[in-house]
Amino acid sequence: MVGWEVPIGAAIAFAAGAIGTGWAQSRIGAAGAGAIAERPETAGTIIILEAIPETLVILGFVVAAMILLMVE
Amino acid sequence: MDYGYINARMRGMKSRLLSHRELDDLIQKPDLDSLIADLENSPYREEVIEARGQLLGILCIEYALRENFTRTFRKIQNFAKQEEAEQYIIIFLHRWDVQNIKTILRGKNIHVTSDEILSCLVPAGEMDEATLKELLKQPDLRAVIDLLATWRIRYARPLTGAYPEYLKTKDLAVLECALDRYYYTDALDSVKAPGPNNGLIRDFLRLEIDVVNLKTVLRMVRDRVDAEDAKRYLIGGGRQFDERKLAELLTLTSIEDVVKALAATPYRFLADIPEPALRTQKISIIEKELERFLIKKGVGAFLLDPLSVASVIGYFWAKYNEITNIRIISRCKTADVSPELLREELVYV
Repeated sequence: MVGWEVPIGAAIAFAAGAIGTGWAQSRIGAAGAGAIAERPETAGTIIILEAIPETLVILGFVVAAMILLMVE
Repeated sequence: MDYGYINARMRGMKSRLLSHRELDDLIQKPDLDSLIADLENSPYREEVIEARGQLLGILCIEYALRENFTRTFRKIQNFAKQEEAEQYIIIFLHRWDVQNIKTILRGKNIHVTSDEILSCLVPAGEMDEATLKELLKQPDLRAVIDLLATWRIRYARPLTGAYPEYLKTKDLAVLECALDRYYYTDALDSVKAPGPNNGLIRDFLRLEIDVVNLKTVLRMVRDRVDAEDAKRYLIGGGRQFDERKLAELLTLTSIEDVVKALAATPYRFLADIPEPALRTQKISIIEKELERFLIKKGVGAFLLDPLSVASVIGYFWAKYNEITNIRIISRCKTADVSPELLREELVYV
C-alpha cells in the first residue's frame, strides 16, 4: 500500500513540466508570431521551435509514470 | 506586456533593411532613373511605384522615402497599440511633429510656397498630413502658432512663450530652441519613473540632448556669440554635460579649443578630425561625426536586452539612417559626385 506522498510527487513532477512547457511556449509563440508576420517563410522553423518545450512535459510525464510504477 | 513579439517583428523588419552591398549597388548606379528602377526592386517598391505616377527624378525618390518612413512607423505604432511600448514609440514619433513644425516655421519665415514646404514634411508623428496642410495655409508665423493653440496642440505653449522674444530678435532659433527644449523636457518627464525601459529611453534622450547641446556650443563659438547670451539656447538634462560644463565650453574661443576640451569625454573621437578642417571653423564635419556617433549608439541598442524597448530604438535609428543614406545617394547622383566621395558621406551600421 503506497502512501499519499507518491501520487502527490507524481502530480508535482507532471505539473511542473506542464507549467514550464506552457510558459516557454507562450514566449516562443509570441515571438514566433512576430517573426512569421514579418517573414512568413520562417513558419516551418517557428513550428519546430514551438514544439521543443514539449520535451519538458514529456519528461515530467515520464518521471510521474516512473514514480507511480516503480515506487511500491 | 510581451516584448518578445515586438522584438521579433523589429528584427524581421531590420532584416529587410538595405545591406552594405545593396547600398553599394545603389552608389554604382549611373543616374537617378536607374537608381529609381533599382529602388523598385527593394522594400521601397510600393512607394516608388506610387510616386512615379505623379513625380519625377529626385522628387519621386524623396516622396517615396517619406511615405515609406511614415508608413513604417504607423505600422509599428499599430502593432504596439495599447501596449507599454506604444508610449515609448510615441516619444520617438513626437520628434517628427517638432521637426515638421520647425520646417513650417522656417518656410513661413522665408516665404517659401506651401507646396515646397509640404514636400519637406514627414507626417510620421501625431500630426497627420491634413493637420500639416491646414497649418501650411496660414499666412505667417503668428497664425501658425495661433492655430496650434486653437487646436490645443502641445507645442503651442513653448512657441507662444518664446514668440515675444522672437519678435524682438527676429531670430528663428529662439522658437526652434523653445520647441526642442519642450520636446526633451516633456519626453524626459514621461520616463522619469524607475524601470528598465524608462531608464533605456532616458539614457538615449540624455545622449541626444548632449549632442544637440554640443552642436549649439560649436555654432555659438564659431559665431563668437557672448557666452551669457548663448546659454539661453542650451537644453538641460544631458548625460555628460551639465550647465556648468557647457558654460565652460562656451567661454572657449575656437572650434579647436572646444574639440580639445572634449578629450576627456566620450566625444574624444572628434579629435581625429584633421586639424586643417577644424581651423576653417566649418562645423559641418563635426556635426556629421556627431550624427554618426548618435546613429551608431542608437543602432547599437539592438545588442541590448531583447525583451525590452531596445529593439524599437535600434530599428528607429537603423531606418532613419537608411533613409538618410538613400537621400544622400540620390542627391549626390544629381550633383554627379564620385562613388568614392559618396561612400565617405554615408553612415554604415
